[in-house]
Amino acid sequence: MAKRENGTGVYKSLRGQEIGVITRGSLVEGLEMKLDARQNIEDMKAGKFVVIEGDKNDFFSMVTDMRLDANNQEVLLHPPRQEDELLRQVLSGTSTYNIVSLRPMLMMPKGADGDEGPRPVKAIPSHFSQVQDAMEEDVAKIFGREGDEQGKYFSIGSPLDMDTPVCIDMVRFAERSNGIFGKTGTGKSFLTRLALCGLIHFDKAVNLIFDMHNEYGFKAMKETGQSNSTFVKGLKQLFGERVAIFSLDPQSTRARGVQPDHEVYISYDQVTVDDVATLQDELKLNPTAVESAYLVYAIYKDRWLRTLLAQEGPDVEEFAKEIGAHPGSLVALHRKLKRLENFPFMVQKGHEDGDVVDRIMEYLDRGINVVLEFGQQTSMLCYLLVANIISRRIHEMYVKKSERFYSTQKPEDQPRQLMITIEEAHKFLNPSAAKQTIFGTIAREMRKYYVSLLVVDQRPSGIDDEVLSQIGTRITALLNDEKDIQAVLTGVSGTDGLRSVLASLDSKQQALVIGHAVPMPVVIKTREYGAQFYRDMGCLDDVPPAERRAQVEKKTNALYGDN
Amino acid sequence: MSTIGESSNPLSRFMSDESNAINASSGPERSHVGEVVESSTTELVAEARQLHGAPSFGQFVRVDSEVPIVGIVFNVFTHSIEPNRRPTAYGKTEDELRLEQPQIFELLRTEFQALVIGYLDEMGPVQILPPQPARIHSFVHVCSEDQIRAFTHTDDYMRCILNTVKVPTDELLIAALRQTMRAHGGDRAYLVRMGKELSRLLGDDYDRLSSIVRRAAY
Ligand SMILES: Nc1ncnc2c1ncn2[C@@H]1O[C@H](COP(=O)(O)OP(=O)(O)O)[C@@H](O)[C@H]1O
Ligand SMILES: [Mg+2]
Repeated sequence: MAKRENGTGVYKSLRGQEIGVITRGSLVEGLEMKLDARQNIEDMKAGKFVVIEGDKNDFFSMVTDMRLDANNQEVLLHPPRQEDELLRQVLSGTSTYNIVSLRPMLMMPKGADGDEGPRPVKAIPSHFSQVQDAMEEDVAKIFGREGDEQGKYFSIGSPLDMDTPVCIDMVRFAERSNGIFGKTGTGKSFLTRLALCGLIHFDKAVNLIFDMHNEYGFKAMKETGQSNSTFVKGLKQLFGERVAIFSLDPQSTRARGVQPDHEVYISYDQVTVDDVATLQDELKLNPTAVESAYLVYAIYKDRWLRTLLAQEGPDVEEFAKEIGAHPGSLVALHRKLKRLENFPFMVQKGHEDGDVVDRIMEYLDRGINVVLEFGQQTSMLCYLLVANIISRRIHEMYVKKSERFYSTQKPEDQPRQLMITIEEAHKFLNPSAAKQTIFGTIAREMRKYYVSLLVVDQRPSGIDDEVLSQIGTRITALLNDEKDIQAVLTGVSGTDGLRSVLASLDSKQQALVIGHAVPMPVVIKTREYGAQFYRDMGCLDDVPPAERRAQVEKKTNALYGDN
Repeated sequence: MSTIGESSNPLSRFMSDESNAINASSGPERSHVGEVVESSTTELVAEARQLHGAPSFGQFVRVDSEVPIVGIVFNVFTHSIEPNRRPTAYGKTEDELRLEQPQIFELLRTEFQALVIGYLDEMGPVQILPPQPARIHSFVHVCSEDQIRAFTHTDDYMRCILNTVKVPTDELLIAALRQTMRAHGGDRAYLVRMGKELSRLLGDDYDRLSSIVRRAAY
């Protein structure tokens, strides 16, 4: 921000109060600020967003650490007594002082406008440069403002101790795979719902959501800290027609008060050996069992699973001999796959509604977002199986569409960007699964085929490194485990400071956003998912009728002009 | 006392009204507390107008002269004016003595020493030693609170005190701080600020700092 001469020859910053001055540091290790004696060290939270005003540049920085220091051992050996308030005041900022570590994230030439935007930090400010609280304008300059013409910026929260919205660039967000991480109960599901709302509202991608805990479609629980929980709106309630609910457990979906748009049935013939292979861990299959599945497939093709499961216990060994498979392995495979018969949604033949994957694809083609609810079917086995089967085939279709587009190059052939949301992502993307599941492929091939992932996980360290490094934007709530923290920061430069920031986030509704969709890492207080947000998303259900009419009128006027 | 009485004197804002008035009328009741009898660049000795009537230890005083000089009283002493006649003990109260032997008080004088810390010029207080020392026989006044405030806005007076070897430094600092505190309306923030400056001036001497701060606030 420019400085203004105040008539006395002294240049005065236009920002607020100075919170300290830079005293030492390096480009590699970050900078140290001596905190102004009038400031309270307790206000300097890790993750706070501050601006260092250099001579030529403003450096947008994050508070990463703080330290109490004293220039004199004597003071520490004989601290002022408790009642000696005056002496403590005198010492504070002189003999005893506070050092705050800052990590510059971006720099911007002073007085720069539009085109000379923020750039990566390649310099450091000189000694005694002033450090100040960031202002609303700073945040907007860096992160953009919601409500721009292209509908690019979507606010997902505000910086610590500020009320200004921090936006993520939804176009960039949709372009690549993204991750939402955090311990259980830190707000992952809320963050995911927010991100999805952004994608849907600004129409930047169509979504396929594998909703394991029924939190995205219609009504989700919100913990209130007391015994009575309340509900928040799901995507269907916010976006109506633009969201379709598919259900594996229609009864449960109906019980929550909504008629699913489509019931999901999966026939045995839709299950490929690869789908079973991805269940190896979950079913505790050994490699030879999978081998023998391939043998069955070699003979019976699509009907392999149906045929195998049709065998009764004692006959399986016989069957193994017939097809030349190892009897022990095939018996094990048979026994374990029998579990699939317990799933009510597994059917012998294709359902009269036609193939569920085709239905989903139709919806996606029309730009309608699909939430697939699992209802009571909350087992990991079920989730893995269904998500894999469906995603594999959807992906195949997308590959075809993309190839067609690449050959015709007609704009109307360009596929809609698809984002697939999966929870418990480490189950799909751990080092061994990532090589087999379709999700590993999607994560690795990036945006080539217009499909990307939104992975939600509480244990990012379980995810394959290669996949992690492909994740564009990471929104991370509190993590405690050192391994998880490390995993989230894989492939991010200058992470020393961020580590401490991550470990010191609040246990709810705070997150660190890093990566492709934001110009610099930033800690946010997550946007409140509640009445105001519903309204911002254009859902007027809870708005009093009079106000609603006014809003609709305003919109109509905007569309068709006042007269 | 050449220019001081003139109303156009740019320094008049540093003079208390009452001293201007008195200078103008030159009446019998003067407001000065002493008269310079020995003077150098760094310190001066003045004779108190009244016996035992010197300004207190640590008080800020102003010497009327072409450039009014400001100092801090760092020593007060009373002695006999006749070199060979030392006062002797009488075993009586002062009141009894004044009745019975008034002449002995005529032979006593109170004097005080002040450390020069700066002067006043058109622009305001200057924290630099004056170019010329005070003239002998100049009158010495006690500084008004406004003058003290103006003069003690920065920490330079403490530096002056600390830099002098001849005076009981810490005691003088404490006395001066207490004076200035009063002039600043007992503002604790001011004391904290001065304490911080002092901490810088004293360097590593935490023990000394804490003792001064504690006693100044007492
Ligand atoms: N953006 C938000 N708006 C409102 N409440 C939130 C928000 N983020 C988190 N919460 C609160 O935190 C609780 C836990 O969030 P949730 O997303 O269910 O955690 P997780 O999925 O990580 O286990 C929610 O029930 C809600 O009370
Ligand atoms: Mg959750």
